Amino acid sequence: MSPTDTHVFFLNRISIRRNQVVSMDNNHEQDLEELELFQKHISDRFTQLLPTTGEEETLTSDDISDQMLSITWFRKLLDTYLCCESEFKAVLIIGRDSSQFSKPPLDRLLPEHLDRTVKALDICNAITNGIEVIRHWQRLAQIAVDALEQRPFVEGHVRRAKRALNTLLMSMTGEDKEQNAHAGKSAERMWSISRRGGAGGAVALPAVNHNRRAIISRSLSSNFMRSWSASKQILAMTTNLAAPRGGDSTGLGLPVYLMSSILVLVMWTLVAAVPCQERVGPHFQLPRHLVWTQPMIVLQEKIGEEWKRKEKKGTSGLLAEIQVIEKVAQNLVEFAEGFDFPVGAEKADEVAEQVAKLAEVCRKLEVGLGPLQLQVREVFHRMVRSRAEVLDVMDVVAKINTHVAC
Amino acid sequence: MASPVNDNTAEQIILRWDTTASEDARTRMIFESDREEINRYLQAVDQIQSSMNLTTLSDEQSKKLNNAIQISMARLEDEFRNILITNSTPIETEPLADSISLTPRTTPRTSSFRSDSPENEDSSNGRNNESISKISSASFTDRNERSVTFASCRSMNSIREQDLLPSESISDLRSIAERMIAAGYFRECVQVYGSVRKSVVDGSFKKLGVEKLSIGDIQRLEWEAMNAKIGRWIRAAKVCIIVLFASEKKLCKQIFEDLGTTAADDACFIETVKAPANQLFNFVEAISISRRSPEKLFKILDLHDSLQDLLPDIDDVFDSKPAESIRIQAPEILSRLAEAARGMLSEFENAVLREPSKVPVPGGTIHPLTRYVMNYISLISDYKQTLGELIISKPTTGSRHCDFAAPEMDFDEHEGQPPLALHLIWIIAILQFNLEGKSKHYKDNSLAHLFIMNNVHYIVQKIKGSSELREMIGDHYLRTLTRVFRQAATNHQRATWIGVLHCLRDQGLHSTGSFSSGVSKSALRERFKSFNAIFDEVHRTQALWLVPDEQLREELRISILEKLIPAYRSFLGRFRNHISDNYIKYSVEDLENGVLDLFEGYAVSQHSRRRSQ
Repeated sequence: MSPTDTHVFFLNRISIRRNQVVSMDNNHEQDLEELELFQKHISDRFTQLLPTTGEEETLTSDDISDQMLSITWFRKLLDTYLCCESEFKAVLIIGRDSSQFSKPPLDRLLPEHLDRTVKALDICNAITNGIEVIRHWQRLAQIAVDALEQRPFVEGHVRRAKRALNTLLMSMTGEDKEQNAHAGKSAERMWSISRRGGAGGAVALPAVNHNRRAIISRSLSSNFMRSWSASKQILAMTTNLAAPRGGDSTGLGLPVYLMSSILVLVMWTLVAAVPCQERVGPHFQLPRHLVWTQPMIVLQEKIGEEWKRKEKKGTSGLLAEIQVIEKVAQNLVEFAEGFDFPVGAEKADEVAEQVAKLAEVCRKLEVGLGPLQLQVREVFHRMVRSRAEVLDVMDVVAKINTHVAC
Repeated sequence: MASPVNDNTAEQIILRWDTTASEDARTRMIFESDREEINRYLQAVDQIQSSMNLTTLSDEQSKKLNNAIQISMARLEDEFRNILITNSTPIETEPLADSISLTPRTTPRTSSFRSDSPENEDSSNGRNNESISKISSASFTDRNERSVTFASCRSMNSIREQDLLPSESISDLRSIAERMIAAGYFRECVQVYGSVRKSVVDGSFKKLGVEKLSIGDIQRLEWEAMNAKIGRWIRAAKVCIIVLFASEKKLCKQIFEDLGTTAADDACFIETVKAPANQLFNFVEAISISRRSPEKLFKILDLHDSLQDLLPDIDDVFDSKPAESIRIQAPEILSRLAEAARGMLSEFENAVLREPSKVPVPGGTIHPLTRYVMNYISLISDYKQTLGELIISKPTTGSRHCDFAAPEMDFDEHEGQPPLALHLIWIIAILQFNLEGKSKHYKDNSLAHLFIMNNVHYIVQKIKGSSELREMIGDHYLRTLTRVFRQAATNHQRATWIGVLHCLRDQGLHSTGSFSSGVSKSALRERFKSFNAIFDEVHRTQALWLVPDEQLREELRISILEKLIPAYRSFLGRFRNHISDNYIKYSVEDLENGVLDLFEGYAVSQHSRRRSQ
């Protein structure tokens, strides 16, 4: 059943079940079974996301399509999220006595989970923005590809490619390789957009043209305030994220915790991979004692390691395709800088190989970014919908309780 | 036919202006020099470009030309960027606010509830007081704002483009773009253009007060703050679409139209406005996600209306194929707002049904819930045009769908009334239901009836006081309500006065069997004592009760007097001679005055003080 089918199914069942008197005994057994299944499914799904043994994740592998952290892999990750989420809702709401929502531990755990969902919504928006940034990089890379696919190699084309690649790398790493000295001062002068009164004798800005490119490309406008930080969001989401200890009579504390953990893990992974505002990596820990979370832990450790490794160099995002672009772009810039006409056959072959790689990854992005963006939106809307449904149930319960209590 | 001499000259010119070649080339800009210099450079580029197309080129020549092209394109890119940055005219936002036509969308409504400011209720239900004052203040500002906020005439072309660059700059930019595109440097051109214009639009957004709020920020907003931000968005969005974006589109056309084979102007426009447009819509989306508290309904409807009004302009500005993804967002978000609005109405109905306060209102007067609900309903009728379109299904009634007791209602008698009207009727029905429940907390049955009478009468008055409400709810239901409060009045009277009148009955006062059909003096004494005591009690107690509506109060008193006075007068007439005057506490006039003291909410002592003055 696809995630959307489950969703409709769920809605139909809830209106029937709501008023049923739940007999404690035989349903308790059922509930426990449901929980077990839920955990098992999570474990299974995440196991499928791990690389199979022997598979190399390095960039030497030619086909990155199924590699961890590639676009294809992310689509699987998001699919996994949607499946877990459907099952979670079923476990939480169907056939359950909704009065449990207002008792401990759910009276605290559910609102916290919903709060994490809201933060996740903002992260989804940041990811959508980030995908636009990747598109921008793809276009720059494409310029270089087109220029360097021309034969024979001429200085003009190489310079064109180099210019595009430098802009690309500056944008990716935030470094201004050219003329760092002037970066600070010129910034203010450049941003005073002065009106030309037509008198023509205006003061010529002592501009350093290349820096304008740098500063503009870096300030690719974000839809978030300066103070917003993806890593702070993730950090906030991990607050109070703790596995329940015993003494939970509802049995629902665990699934809520698991769903929250999945949410945080997925969002964290997205932030690791896609450029978004202020994403200096936070690293969080999943508790080890829960059997079912093993695959999630392994996944998180692998990604965490990768992130730590790349962080020192100031990375643009762990998305496999981005990593390829970055590496190849650097190689090609090196080539361009040492360019000497005429290019020897051996060198030409090397370059052609790199260019082909770049072209291939651009094609992957061209094909894959659109659907990825759509899927992120789907996740967004699902979170909105589920949140509204849970809130509805909670509100009903709260009002009944107020009435009864008075 | 290109000659070697011309080519060399052209090449020299281009090389001279190579940014990496000299300090001079780096610090001076071609397009800030005189017109001659500019033309010379452009001609040089054209020269090289046309030479490239010659088939009879040696490798050496080809290589030199290629280099020259690349150098000139890099240079032109920088020039392009420079012209864009230094010559941008910021958008004029101030005169716009007034010049945008101010046809109000709805006629301002003279509402009866304007005079009905929330009284100082002693009711312990503070939440309702708060809610009431929120609704009242919202309605005032809302109404004023709505009449001056935005234009409505769709037949008028409301697009207002402004010139973002002087025409000389535009023609310079076009000359550059033409050459870049012809040389196959379209991508670079779009990138430069997009990144500069995006920053400019960003700046304009700031000026217009469009904020970059996250969804989390909006969830945390207090109701007042949210109202203010929605208002600001409504004002700013109009300007963004019809002025800002429209102007950017015009600029793209002026620079890029008909250059090259791909729709360059469309591509540049999208590059410029995609992110800002998303930012604009994200706000509305975030609002539609926020918690569905009933107070927000009307501001959400304002937002819905303003976005709906903008749809034709959005379609206009984003009419190209690449802009489709932006264009389709608007109706999607609109439908989410509609859903949110429906949810809020539903929330409201639930809230009315489940409003849990149990402390009885002193004196049996109007309950704050009644006021709140009637205020809310009045606002609904204000917004009936929009809400009428959004509310398309009948209310769900009865206990089936709630875990909560609710009245059953079938709407057969209300065939032909639109769903929104049915919702209003339903709301009043559940209000009554709730009030019935509340009335049971009065220890005194008579007070319970008075309470119902007061509140239902208030409802009826409110409906009668508004022609729109009356039309929506319909006379049939109005009659039903009228019956209810009249019945309550009757019940109240009966509950209070039966005991009193019982004292004045004939039977039991005549001693049986006696020859002279005498009156039992002891029985009579008991009667008078009872009467006096009961009347005292009623007088003392019910003087504190309240019937706020003057006319209703009068009617009630008259009705009481009509039964009381004749009975008492006749009783006195028949029996006063059989008993000493000590037992007769009240004259007829005293009774009349006593009844006049009832239902004003003052203690008896205050009445007698007044009378003695």
